[in-house]
Amino acid sequence: MRNIIFGPLLRLVPVGLIALSIQRVVFANHPVGDIKLQFVLALVVAAGAGGGSDRGAVAGFVLGLLYDASGNTPLGLMALSYGLAGMTAGYVHSFTPDPQWWLASIFAFFGAAVGEAAIPAAEVITGEDGWITTDIWVTVVVVAGFAAVMCPLLMPIGRWMMGVKRKKWKAMLE
Amino acid sequence: MFSGLSRRRVLLLVVLTCVLLITLDKSGNPVIGRVRSVFARVVQPIDTAVEAVALPIERAWNGIANYDDLERENEALWDQIQHMKGNDVEARSAVLEYRELLKLNQLTSKFQYDTVAAQVVGDSPSNFQNTVEISVGSAQGVGIGMPVTDGAGLIGRITKVFPDRSIVLLITDPQFSVPAQVLSTPGVDPTGTTQPTQSTTLSGIPESDLTSSTTSSTSTTTTQPLPPELTPIESSTSSTQAPTGNNATTSPATTTTIVEVVRETGLLEGQGNDKPMLLRFVDTTSSVTNVKVGAIVDTAGGNSGLAPQGIPIGIITKVQKQTGSSSALVEVTPNASLKRLNFVAVVLFQPNPSAIGK
Repeated sequence: MRNIIFGPLLRLVPVGLIALSIQRVVFANHPVGDIKLQFVLALVVAAGAGGGSDRGAVAGFVLGLLYDASGNTPLGLMALSYGLAGMTAGYVHSFTPDPQWWLASIFAFFGAAVGEAAIPAAEVITGEDGWITTDIWVTVVVVAGFAAVMCPLLMPIGRWMMGVKRKKWKAMLE
Repeated sequence: MFSGLSRRRVLLLVVLTCVLLITLDKSGNPVIGRVRSVFARVVQPIDTAVEAVALPIERAWNGIANYDDLERENEALWDQIQHMKGNDVEARSAVLEYRELLKLNQLTSKFQYDTVAAQVVGDSPSNFQNTVEISVGSAQGVGIGMPVTDGAGLIGRITKVFPDRSIVLLITDPQFSVPAQVLSTPGVDPTGTTQPTQSTTLSGIPESDLTSSTTSSTSTTTTQPLPPELTPIESSTSSTQAPTGNNATTSPATTTTIVEVVRETGLLEGQGNDKPMLLRFVDTTSSVTNVKVGAIVDTAGGNSGLAPQGIPIGIITKVQKQTGSSSALVEVTPNASLKRLNFVAVVLFQPNPSAIGK
């Protein structure tokens, strides 16, 4: 338990704050066709794809909390959505312990899609409905696509953030 | 790291913690408010640092990629300024007249409330929230629920206040709703398209008969807001230079028509990004009979209102009858350009606390 709190948090929080600032300053002000690309979500799914579903869930929870604290969403709403996103992306480790970059990107795509689609769904639960329309699928696909593209670049940061070392495979001596 | 916790337990822990936090935040826990306030101070210097790095890159890119667009936009804006200079003089005189009439009738207006100027410093990072962050907060007297305007009209209301910044929920957000009124004159097309009506001068000669090439006409229209017990009237004064015979001597003729201004009240709600707002009427039949495309929509005021009466919101762009219902679907396009907000004003009007929660 001590490791969970003090281990990755020391890296998660500062990296998360910088990612959040990049989101607020760069991506929030430069939407692509009215869709704001989600840098923090891309980092969460990269951490999940690099470290597994449990680490992805924790990364999503912490970065989501930072997101909530800086904005207008109820505290815990983005944490829940991003937690689900990180966990979904981390399921790639159920197939292979050291996924190829393209396989990680595919899972990052699905993880980000789940995370982005979970936001309006969670808002309905908290009584803030009105966002679930047919248009959200375009938003979800664009945001997930961005996360998939960014995944190979952000995965080393995600691994470092979560204190995961990449496995080194050695050939067996005959 | 998670040796003691299975995957399911981690997920359960995350979900339960989130639900607990959402519940606490929704119930208005003061600790969460303080945490947000502290966090805002922590994030601010990091935002500034990131901006210092990103801004030169952004400017260089804009200089390369958008120079032609900016030049064209600049020319279009200059044209617009020239047009607006003319409108401005007319509008100022109308405002003065309006204030005088309000004073005369001992009525209140939005002009009685002080405003605090603010700059928009940030946009919502999420795709599912239409909010902006502004540079004033509780230190400047800003409170939750206060309406925010720009030069064109209402843009939203304050939903969160910190010492030196606030968050504004924009009028297009689905969470936003405000009591609004439609000002329209029955029989008159608000879009400016002249209705085929026969107008006569005091002499009894139809204006259409005055077909001389020297005929010129000027008209001024004034809307007079009157006390509730009186019916609002619109007086239209028209002076016509009519030729009489070959000498074409001019004699001013005055036409005075009494036109009732219809005020239909309803609730205006946001529908999300780039979508017009939706107006739901208190009296469902009124939308079909009295409301027309092009009519002006402004805040209704009142005890349960979130804003003082008379702040312009937008114009009606679509009135569609719904099959199987007596009401119509009324869409309102905001006056303010919400994507290009820079300087705004917070109206220091404290709404009724029960209205803020709606």
